[in-house]
Amino acid sequence: MGELLLARRRIAIFLVLFLFVLVLLSSQTRTADRRQVGPVGTALLTALMPLQAGMFRVADAASGVWDTFAEIGRLRVENARLRTQVENLNREVAELREQASSAERLERLLEFRRQLSYRATAARVIGRDASRWFTTLVVDRGSRDGVRRNAAVVTPDGVVGRVIEVTPMASRVLLISDSRSAVGVLIQQSRDAGVVEGVGGFRLHLKYLSRAARINEGDLVVTSGLGGVFPRGLVVGRIANVIREEGELLQEAEVEPAAQLDRLEEMLILLPRQ
Amino acid sequence: MSRVLVYSGLLVAAGLVHVAWLARMQISGAIMDPLLPIAVAVGILRGAEYGAAVGLAAGLLQDLLSGGPLGVNGLIKLVIGFASGLFVRSIYIENPLLPAVATFAGTLFGEILLAVVGQVTGLAAEASSVGILRAFAQAALNSAVAPFLFRGVKRIEFRLERPR
Repeated sequence: MGELLLARRRIAIFLVLFLFVLVLLSSQTRTADRRQVGPVGTALLTALMPLQAGMFRVADAASGVWDTFAEIGRLRVENARLRTQVENLNREVAELREQASSAERLERLLEFRRQLSYRATAARVIGRDASRWFTTLVVDRGSRDGVRRNAAVVTPDGVVGRVIEVTPMASRVLLISDSRSAVGVLIQQSRDAGVVEGVGGFRLHLKYLSRAARINEGDLVVTSGLGGVFPRGLVVGRIANVIREEGELLQEAEVEPAAQLDRLEEMLILLPRQ
Repeated sequence: MSRVLVYSGLLVAAGLVHVAWLARMQISGAIMDPLLPIAVAVGILRGAEYGAAVGLAAGLLQDLLSGGPLGVNGLIKLVIGFASGLFVRSIYIENPLLPAVATFAGTLFGEILLAVVGQVTGLAAEASSVGILRAFAQAALNSAVAPFLFRGVKRIEFRLERPR
């Protein structure tokens, strides 16, 4: 019985509340802007609006901070991506520059080879003498390619040296700047003969030149063809400094090598005539 | 009297949080509504008539703060609060999933009711632009917060019931 009363009470409360809200809702729909809060609603809103505004401002501030952090995160990611992109592009540019430089050198070498009246094979430097810097080089051509001991090695700029060791797939080249090297030369203009010797580093020394020879700084020094290693007429370098000692029968000079001996990468090895 | 004050404070706080903060965080067009799980929790813990009363108050407050016509949310939450009080009588009340499940079902029911009320009262433009996806997202959001609010309401009830 009590349970039934409770249920009826419950239903009655619900119906009263339901009716109230229906009346309220229908009264709202009849107004022009479909909202009429009345004095109680206005009072409540007056009390709550400042709170709502304060909370809104807090949310605004939090949102601003969040946006800033999110922006920082985005910028970091973008920065990392752009850095990677820049690194890749730099690497690509370096590779392309290297290829362009290599192509240019090879083009010059090819042109030089066409001009030579000798058979020649192009070789690339694959090693340098670690114990005695830059005085001998190892190149990637050997007896399999027709390279023989004492073959002359040249670049479009000038004489590099001669082959002193040959293996089937590689050869060692003694540079003309090595102190063991001696090349018979001529002063191109005066046709005076002498011998260019290496003195270490990248300098050359011209010896056994007659005191009567007329030489000047800047004169071109070319191979004489004597000695059987270097063909006649290959550029060795230019006179850098003439040395005339009092009472000496001969005069000497310092020669600037024509080939860039410290930057050699590709060169031609002259092959014996068949 | 103290119960009225406590629940008024709770509803005002939840209503303000709803309009000031949660309204900014929409997920699939749905906004978490803490007032509905409170009405459901009161209905479960205190019975249908209390659920109806708190639901009505919560809905009217929501209508007042949100700028819509007064009574739309009041009617919906009144029905949900009452229904949750009626239906949970047959379910084991200590089931931890109960608040979430009841809130999920209540939200979906509320969304349907919202569409019906909108059509009947001609307030469809304001009240019933609710898609099915949005309704489910709304239900999921509300049921996610429901266990915490249920626990809060339970604690309030425990304190109010405790003999001094």
